Amino acid sequence: MLLASGINDSIVVVVLASAVVYGTPLLFAALGELLAERAGVLNLGVEGMMLVGAVLGFWAVQRTGSLPLAILVAAAAGAAMALIHAFLTITLRANQIVSGLALTIFAGAAGLSSYLGNDLNVADQPARHSFSSFLPHSWRTAKFVGPILFNQSALVYGSWVLVALVALYLNRTRLGLNLRAVGESPAAADAMGINVVGYRYAHTVVGGALAGIGGATFTLWITPQWVDGITSGAGWIAIALVIFAFWRPALCLVGAYLFGAFSGIPFTFQARGILKSVPPELFQSLPYVMTVVVLVLVSSAGARRRLGAPAALGTPYVREER
Amino acid sequence: MPPAVELRDITKRFPGVVANDGVRFEAAEGEVHALLGENGAGKSTLSNILTGLYQPDEGEILLGGRPVDFGSPRDALDAGIGMVHQHFRLVPPFTVAENVILGDHRGEGKRFLVHPRRIERRVAELGERYRIAVDPRARVWQLSLGEQQRVEILKALYREARILILDEPTAVLTPQEAESLFETLRVMAAEGRTVIFISHKLHEVKAVSDRVTVLRDGKTVDTVSTASATPRSLAALMVGREVSLAERVPRTGEVGEPVLEVRDLWAPGDRGGDALRGVDLVVRAGEIVAIAGVAGNGQRELAETVTGMRAPSRGEVLVSNRNLRGGDARDAIGAGVAHVPEDRLHTGVAPSLSIASNVVLKSYRGNHISRGPLLKLRTIREHAAHLIHRYDVRGGGPDVPARQLSGGNLQKVVLAREFHGEPRVLVVASPTRGLDVAAIETVHRYLRDAAAAGVGVLLISEDLDEILALADRVAVMYEGAIVGERDAGTATVEEIGLLMAGGDGA
Amino acid sequence: MIRIERRLTQPWWLGVLVPVGSVVVAFGVMTLVLLATGHPPGHTFSRLIRTGFGGMDALNATFVAATPLLFTGLCAAVAFRMQLFNIGGEGQLYVGAILGAGAGLVLGNHTGWLSVPAMILAGAAGGAAYALLPGLFRAFLSTNEIITSLMLNYVAALVIDYLIFDSQSYWRDTSTPTAKVFPQGKNLPAAASWPLSHVGSLYLPFGLLLGVVLATVIWLLYTRTRFGFEVQVIGDSPRAAAYAGMRTRRKILAVMALSGAIAGIGGASQDGDFRHTLDPRGLTSAGYGYAGIVIAALARYNPFAVCLIAFLLGGLQNAGYALQGVDFPSGLVGVLQGLILFCALGGELLIRYRVRLKTRAAAAAEAAAT
Repeated sequence: MLLASGINDSIVVVVLASAVVYGTPLLFAALGELLAERAGVLNLGVEGMMLVGAVLGFWAVQRTGSLPLAILVAAAAGAAMALIHAFLTITLRANQIVSGLALTIFAGAAGLSSYLGNDLNVADQPARHSFSSFLPHSWRTAKFVGPILFNQSALVYGSWVLVALVALYLNRTRLGLNLRAVGESPAAADAMGINVVGYRYAHTVVGGALAGIGGATFTLWITPQWVDGITSGAGWIAIALVIFAFWRPALCLVGAYLFGAFSGIPFTFQARGILKSVPPELFQSLPYVMTVVVLVLVSSAGARRRLGAPAALGTPYVREER
Repeated sequence: MPPAVELRDITKRFPGVVANDGVRFEAAEGEVHALLGENGAGKSTLSNILTGLYQPDEGEILLGGRPVDFGSPRDALDAGIGMVHQHFRLVPPFTVAENVILGDHRGEGKRFLVHPRRIERRVAELGERYRIAVDPRARVWQLSLGEQQRVEILKALYREARILILDEPTAVLTPQEAESLFETLRVMAAEGRTVIFISHKLHEVKAVSDRVTVLRDGKTVDTVSTASATPRSLAALMVGREVSLAERVPRTGEVGEPVLEVRDLWAPGDRGGDALRGVDLVVRAGEIVAIAGVAGNGQRELAETVTGMRAPSRGEVLVSNRNLRGGDARDAIGAGVAHVPEDRLHTGVAPSLSIASNVVLKSYRGNHISRGPLLKLRTIREHAAHLIHRYDVRGGGPDVPARQLSGGNLQKVVLAREFHGEPRVLVVASPTRGLDVAAIETVHRYLRDAAAAGVGVLLISEDLDEILALADRVAVMYEGAIVGERDAGTATVEEIGLLMAGGDGA
Repeated sequence: MIRIERRLTQPWWLGVLVPVGSVVVAFGVMTLVLLATGHPPGHTFSRLIRTGFGGMDALNATFVAATPLLFTGLCAAVAFRMQLFNIGGEGQLYVGAILGAGAGLVLGNHTGWLSVPAMILAGAAGGAAYALLPGLFRAFLSTNEIITSLMLNYVAALVIDYLIFDSQSYWRDTSTPTAKVFPQGKNLPAAASWPLSHVGSLYLPFGLLLGVVLATVIWLLYTRTRFGFEVQVIGDSPRAAAYAGMRTRRKILAVMALSGAIAGIGGASQDGDFRHTLDPRGLTSAGYGYAGIVIAALARYNPFAVCLIAFLLGGLQNAGYALQGVDFPSGLVGVLQGLILFCALGGELLIRYRVRLKTRAAAAAEAAAT
C-alpha cells in the first residue's frame, strides 16, 4: 500500500523498520542465551535479567546522563543476576530449570526490578538521554533501505557487530572450539584439559550481561522510560529464539527481526487503522503463537538429530561422580 | 636411571569403597607394562589419577624421578601423559582433526584456527607413521569404534605423549584389530615411550607386555616379568586363589522346541540406516545361544527389537509360535520375554526407587501385586524381601534405593526379577560387564540354571571366553546380520574372530 | 579444598530441615537487602507477619490469597514430579476461569445448585484441554513443554483480555451505560457463588476445602496406585520405563491433563469464590501460576507440603498486597520468594551430597600419619 508521500511510508517499510527496532532487544538477549547454552547451561531467567538491566540502566542514565555508562551498568546488572544462576547450577548442581525460573521470579516484574524501580524513584519520568538515530539525513531517508537500515540507533549497529563477533568466535577461534566441546561432551573437554566449570561460568555471566543490555534497549531507546515489566515477555521469546536459530548467531538475527515484526505489527496496523475489525490481541499473540509453531517444527526428530542442541545442555558436569 | 613413571603409596577413597589402597607401581622408558586386575580392582581409578582426572587422597606421583602434582587433566597432558579411555572422550559432532587439537594450548595462535589444513596434514602424517590412519575430516559419530580408538591414540601422539595409557583397549576390537594395535604399541615402545596397558584379559597381557603389575582389591599384589609368568600364575595373583580357568560345563537338560524365532528381521538404527539387516535366528528351550561380535554391529539393536523396545521395519519375532507386536515392550513381556539389559543401572532399574519398587517394575499390574488400580504395598515389600534373601542380594533391604547397590548386587536384583516371571525366553546383554569374579560366577550359574529349567537363553556378549564357556551355539553378528553359526564346543577363537571381522567363516 | 561426595542415603529429616532453613536464610538475606535500601527490617517483617497471619481478619484474607496458590502449586507438583515442566499453570488457570465463568453465567440463572459443580467441571475441562496442547506436542513430537506451555500463558492472557475489553462477548457486561465505556465482566448470578463455610470466625472458601481434598486424592494417587507407580518410574528413568513396557506417551497426556485441570479448577474458584465475574486485570496481574511453581519446588512436590506452603506464601502475598504503598517496598514479595527458592535450591545440594571441607594441612597430616 503506497501512500502519496512515497515508498518510505509504505506499510512494508514501516513494518520492516519496526521489526529491526523490536527485534534488537531480542537479539541481544538471544545471543547471550546462545553463548550460555553452547556451554551447556540453560538459563530461563532471561526475562528477569533483562528487567534488572533495564531498570538499572535507566537509573544510571538518569543519574549520570551518560549512555555508555548506562549500558555498562545494565550489562553488569544482568551479569550479576546470571552469576546467581551460575553459582546455583554449576557449583551447587541445582536443577537448571527451577533455578532459572527462580531467577525470573526474583528479578522479574514483581520482584527485584520492581523493587529497584520503586526505591530508586525512576518511574514516571522520561529518560534524560536516549539512543537515537545519528547517521546523516540523506542516508536515513534513502529509498527503502533508509528507514530500515540507516535510521536506527547505535544499539542496532552494535548488535550487528556482535552477531559477527559471536559467529567468528564460535567457528574460527580455539576458545570457541573449546566452548562447543564443553557443551557437547564436557567429559571429553575435561579430559583434554579444558576448564569446563570456568567456561560455563564465563559464558553464563556474559549471557546475563547481554540480556541486561537487551533490557536496557527498551528503557534507553525504544520507550525511554521505566515501567514495571516493560519487557512484557521478550526474555521468554529470546529463549525460544535460540532454539529457532539452531544455536547459530546468524539465524538469531533473522529470527529476532521476524519476531520483532510480529511485535511491531499490532501498533503499526492500529496506528494506520488497518484491519480495524481484527482485534489487536490477535496480532499481539502472534509472536507467542509463532514461537510455539516454530518450536514444534524444529523439534521434529529429524531436525533435532542433524542440527540439534548442545548435547550436554541442562545437565551439570560432575567429574568425580561414580 | 629412574623409572619413567612411578606411583608411591597411592590411596583413593570414594563413598563406601577404597578404590586404591597404598598402590605402588613403576614403569620404565621403552617398556610395555601391563596393569592387570579383575573388574573393580582399581585399575581405572589409578589411571584416572595418573591423568589428573582424580586427585589421590594420599601418596605421590613421580615422573622421571621428580614428584609431580596433577591438579587437573591439563597438568597431566602438559607433562606428557596421554590416555586412551575405555569410553572414548571424543566430541561426536566434531571432525577428527578438531578432536585431536581440542584443548591444545601450545603452538597455533590462540585466536584463530588459521590452518585447519595444517592440522589435518599432521594428523594424516601421524596416522601413516603408526599405521592408524583415519580421515581427518570425518566426523567422529560416523566412525566405527575401532576408528574412534585410533583418534584417541592420535590425540595422544599429537600432544607428543611420552607415556601412553590404554584402558581395556581391545573391548571394541576384533582379534585381528587387536593384533594390529599391539604392533602399534610395540613401535611406540621401541621409540622410547612408555606404554601402560590396562586389562583384565590374561592372553592379551601375555601377548603384548614386558612386565605385568597385578592389582587386587585396590592393592598391588606383585610385579612380574611377563616372560616368566603363565596365564595360570597371573590368574592366581589376580584372584588370590587357585582358579580353574573358564571351563565348559556340559549341558544337563534336554533341548526342546523353539521358543524364540527371528525371521528376516530388519530394524533402523539411531542414526539413520539399518542396524539389523535380515537377521535369522532360532533359540530352543533349554539352550544357550550366544551372539558374538564387536560392539556396534547390531547386537544392541537385536536385543532391543526382540524385547520390543525397538520397532522392526521388516520381519518377524516369534515367541513359542506367537508373533510379537513390533516395538511394544509390554507385548513382549506378556509373551514371556525377559530382558537383562546391557545398562543395568539406567535401563534395567529406576535408580532412585527402592529395590521393592524395582522388583515389581514389570509385574506391578499383575493380580497378586495390585488390586484394581491400587498397589498392595505390603505384598510388594514381602515379595522383595523374599527375593533378596533367595538371591543373596547384599547391600540393604527392600527400601534401599537401587543405585546404592554394587554392580554385582544390582545385577542379582535384575536377574531375580527377570527369572521370577517364569519367562520362556531370556535375553541377556553383557551380563557380567564390570563385575568381579565371584559375581561373574554367580551370574553364569543363574544362566545355566535358567537353561536347565527350560528357558531359551539368548546371550549377547563381547567376551569370547564367556561365550565359549557358557553357550551351546555361537552366532556371529557383523554389520547387522548373522554371518555364521558354530557349535560352541568345537569352535576356535580364531574362527570366531575371523567371522567377527567380516571374514569368510568357511 | 571443598569436596563434594554423593550421599548414599538421604536422611528424611534433611528433607524438612533444608526447606525450613531456606526460609530462614532467605529472611536473613532479605534483612540485609532492606537495610541496604533504607527500610527497617524488623518493622517491615512484623508488619508483614501481622498483616498476613495476625488475627482472624488476617487469616481470612490469607485463606483467600492461599486458595489459588494451592491449586497452582498442586498443578505444578503433579507435573514436575514426572519431570514434566508445566509452566503453563498461569494460562491453564485463565482458561479455567473463562469456562468456569461461562458455566456459571449460563447455568446460574436456571438450575441453581448445578452451577457450582458445573463450574468446577468446566474449569477442569478448560484447564485440562489447554494443558493438552503442550502435552500433545511433547508426547508425540518431543517438543519441550517448557517454552510451549509458557507461550500459551501469554496467549491465554490475551484471550481473556479480548473477551472483556475488545469484544462484545457473552462474558462482557453490556447492561449499563458505564459498562459500555469501561469494560468489565458480567456479574455471576448468586447461585453461582461458591459456598463459604465457617468455623467460628474463620471463613473457609469452598475452593480451599476442595483444594485440600484434591491434595489428598493426589497423594493417594501418586503413592498407592499403579498410575502413581508409573509416574514415579517415568520421572526417575524414562529408559527404565520404556524397558518395562510402560506407556509413556499416555502418561504424559494424562499427567498434563490432570495438572491443567487442577489449575483450571483454581480459575473457576477465582470466579466462584472471590471475584464473581471474569476479571482479566485481576487474574493476569496476580501471577498465581508462577507462584505455584515456587511453592511446588519448595514443597519438593509433596501435595501436603504444598498445602502448608501455599498457606504461608498466601499470607506473604496477602500482606504484600495489603501493605502496598509509598512506605512499603513494592516487589518485596517477589524478591523474598526468589530468595527462598534460591536457598531451597542451594539446600538441595546438602540433601543429595555431603560437603566436606578439607584444608591442605589436614590432608597432609592424614598422609603423614600413614
